[in-house]
Amino acid sequence: MSASDNHSGASPGGPDRPAGEDPLVTPRARQGRAPDVFRPGAWLPMREYPEDEPVDFAIIGTGAGGSTLACRLAEHGFGVVALEAGPFWRPLEDFASDELEQSKLYWLDERITDGEDPIEMGRNNSGRSVGGSMVHFAMVSLRFRPEWFSARSSLGYGVDWPIPWQEMWRYYAEVEEALKIAGPVRYPWGPPRGRYPYRAHEVNAAGLVLARGCEALGIPWAPVPLATVSAPRGQSPPCVYRGFCIIGCSTNAKQSPLVTWIPRAIRAGAEIRDLAMAGRVELGPRGRVSGVHYHREGRWRFQRARNVVVAGYAVETPRLLLNSACPAFPDGLANRSGLVGKNLMVHSGHGVFGRVEEEVRWYKGPPSLALTEHWNYTDTGKDFDGGYVPMSQGPLPVEWANVLTARGIWGEDLRQRMTDYIHGAGAKIVGEVMPQERNRVTLDAEQDRFGLPVARVTFSYCDNDRRLIRHALRFQRQLLEGAGVTGLFDVEDTAHLMGTCRMGTDPVRSVTDADGRCWDIPNLWVCDGSLFPTSGAVNPSLTIQALACRAADRIRTLARRGEL
Amino acid sequence: MRMLEARRGGRTGHLLDLALPLAGAVLAAPRPPPRTGREARRTDRVARHLHGGAAILALAVLADSGLEHYRAMFFNRAMYVPLAASSLTLAASLHGLLDERPLPHAARDAVYGLAAATGLVGNGFHLWNIGKRPGGFSWLNLFYGAPVGAPMALLLAGAVGLAAERVREDAAARRPRILGQPAGRLLAGLAATGLAGTSAEAALFHFRGAYHDPFMFVPVALPPVAAALLARAAAEPGRRRPRRLARWWLRLTALLGFAGVGFHAFGIHRNMGGWRNWSQNILNGPPLPAPPSFTGLALAGLAALRLLEEEGRDG
Ligand SMILES: Cc1cc2nc3c(=O)[nH]c(=O)nc-3n(C[C@H](O)[C@H](O)[C@H](O)COP(=O)(O)OP(=O)(O)OC[C@H]3O[C@@H](n4cnc5c(N)ncnc54)[C@H](O)[C@@H]3O)c2cc1C
Ligand code: SF4
Repeated sequence: MSASDNHSGASPGGPDRPAGEDPLVTPRARQGRAPDVFRPGAWLPMREYPEDEPVDFAIIGTGAGGSTLACRLAEHGFGVVALEAGPFWRPLEDFASDELEQSKLYWLDERITDGEDPIEMGRNNSGRSVGGSMVHFAMVSLRFRPEWFSARSSLGYGVDWPIPWQEMWRYYAEVEEALKIAGPVRYPWGPPRGRYPYRAHEVNAAGLVLARGCEALGIPWAPVPLATVSAPRGQSPPCVYRGFCIIGCSTNAKQSPLVTWIPRAIRAGAEIRDLAMAGRVELGPRGRVSGVHYHREGRWRFQRARNVVVAGYAVETPRLLLNSACPAFPDGLANRSGLVGKNLMVHSGHGVFGRVEEEVRWYKGPPSLALTEHWNYTDTGKDFDGGYVPMSQGPLPVEWANVLTARGIWGEDLRQRMTDYIHGAGAKIVGEVMPQERNRVTLDAEQDRFGLPVARVTFSYCDNDRRLIRHALRFQRQLLEGAGVTGLFDVEDTAHLMGTCRMGTDPVRSVTDADGRCWDIPNLWVCDGSLFPTSGAVNPSLTIQALACRAADRIRTLARRGEL
Repeated sequence: MRMLEARRGGRTGHLLDLALPLAGAVLAAPRPPPRTGREARRTDRVARHLHGGAAILALAVLADSGLEHYRAMFFNRAMYVPLAASSLTLAASLHGLLDERPLPHAARDAVYGLAAATGLVGNGFHLWNIGKRPGGFSWLNLFYGAPVGAPMALLLAGAVGLAAERVREDAAARRPRILGQPAGRLLAGLAATGLAGTSAEAALFHFRGAYHDPFMFVPVALPPVAAALLARAAAEPGRRRPRRLARWWLRLTALLGFAGVGFHAFGIHRNMGGWRNWSQNILNGPPLPAPPSFTGLALAGLAALRLLEEEGRDG
């Protein structure tokens, strides 16, 4: 892979701008226009909806779920207002090649974490931007194994999803096309799938280490299907492999919602309101919600809506529903099941790292370029339920320094180890975690800057999770040893959030139906990672977007039948 | 003569297999009777055409292997060899173009032979490079490993140059023959094979680019038609119509080679920073020097048609 340093010279988004232009302070999407992310300083015309007339859909959050739904609903002809707590970035101008500066993309507001295995919140699992967490995601775009949609009946653990896999796989294809996923010509696992819209990226040296390990063990490996283009697409240039993906891509090669669903949504007539923090969903007469209270430009406002969709991800979505408790729903809106906030899941992100003789330069290119889904599709030789997928790694320098200091490496030793950075190699899993009711999001007494109670996030692994992690660490050691990596050590981590408003077929055991429609309130919907009944063992964004595309189609069908 | 033609008639498929042996050993052939001065002059023009084709091919190889091997930071010393070989081929071809004497030239001949051999060995190297990567001969390695077809362009440059020399050799006195075959047929086979192969290479790399622009289908669709028409014209040297058709498609293909540079320049513009960032995007974007290979081969094809025309007159 050639050295390519052609990211544009981006300037930080904050201090050096006039106050009126700081996207963290002053909303950009207003007065009938929104930023055109592809052209510096340019704008797209944007439709605006009045607050006092009910809009068809008010969507809270513009991440994987919210932006996709906003786009597809607008394309189906519905009126859409999407409220987003975060800013509307212009990647070409606002994104710097600086890990610390780019922490502006994360949701760093106070959250309390506890449980036996408290989750680290922020950088590695929650974003706050128009486009949501995918603005700084690692672009890994994988499909669930078909059997996971019937985990209970086919594999004997967890619960079944209320949607057959064939239907989900059809929507996967729709999302892959929308993001022009770059994937291998032949994918080694699962039923045949159509060709990925773009060809796989070149695998960097860090990925080839994993590949070598797999070949030594005699199991298949594959280049990772990624949401960054390997050839030009519209105004997106092909990826330049400089590897700053998880702090935000400054070239727009990454196909995050900010450069895909959002511009499409605006063109189709949706309104995006940035820096708009929803605080409460209002229950109106006849058991239906009537709109959303939100904070923008220094004051609380109210957007009336015929339908409200909550898409704030698996912590903020239950937090908002719990915060919206009212006399009819004293335990939180749409929470007759008592399950809002429960069954929180993460993915275990345990990994093994070491050193190789050659210069790997693992920061080059997207962080994960090779993987093996062997343990997702093999059911023998396991002492646990579920699966995991090891992927090659390319941590950025500060991230890597954090890994080292967490091991107690400081001072001269740390300096030495950091000079060895280009020899690093390793693997990390996305590992399935079982749903447990004790893992949950609740409200704390503490309040945030808007005066809203903050979320308390409680998490503990169960025995099955621990067995899976042990297996995965052992396996990754074999893998890396097979590839000639030395000085191996284990790293604990988690990624992704799922579960807290599970969908299902039974109002007693789930919060919403298969369309994300709340059992208790027919015009209140959820559309994000909260819906997952089980976590599966692949990164969730493709599945979230597929659910959103499906929900939009279902809503159109229901509307035509007069069932909204 | 007629008998000879008849015996060989209808073996069009055979023509496609002639490119490789041609590069290996160029044998002297039985000599047919001398020709008129006008014919000889025409044949001489054909030889110059061939030198021109070889020159374009060599230039394309020089620029392409220069860029690509620079991109690979001349990781292996052997990466300098095609640069040297293609430079020499280019010089020899220019010399041949300007050389008024209707005679072959030993040094040029040697250079062309060297180029052809370098192309063959280079292809071996590239195959070896692909095979040793994890995944072996996978799509991924065909996309991103050493490009499998690229050194063949040098082989073709050498072969076209060798053909030019053989034509000169025979031009003054006799009807040109190569490897004991009428030169026109052999050259037609060479150009057709080259066009088909180059097209296959474009197909592979445009597939890697997911045919994101519909114009990317053109070099995959057009040259194979020219190749097929050329092969047909060679199979039926007695008929004019196939030759006329082939001539038009070849001219179109020659133009395509130039137009392709324009398209690739546009492709470079679509990379991050566009032409302002030329120093990196020339390396990352679609290869500017690749498409003219089609022009070089089309010129060889056109030269072959001229020879075929004369062979047809005998027939
Ligand atoms: C570093 C990192 C790497 C990742 N890598 C991958 C990967 O490679 N592949 C993959 O599939 N997934 C990856 N993920 C996960 C993926 O990004 C998320 O799973 C996905 O974006 C979740 O979608 P969502 O719609 O549920 O929530 P989000 O995308 O997080 O969107 C929620 C949005 O809602 C907004 N919001 C929340 N509350 C409110 C409120 N009250 N009012 C207004 N707005 C609100 C938030 O600001 C946010 O923008 C990664 C995540 C991170 C952080
Ligand atoms: S996707 Fe990652 S490596 Fe590619 S251009 Fe964007 S930040 Fe750079």
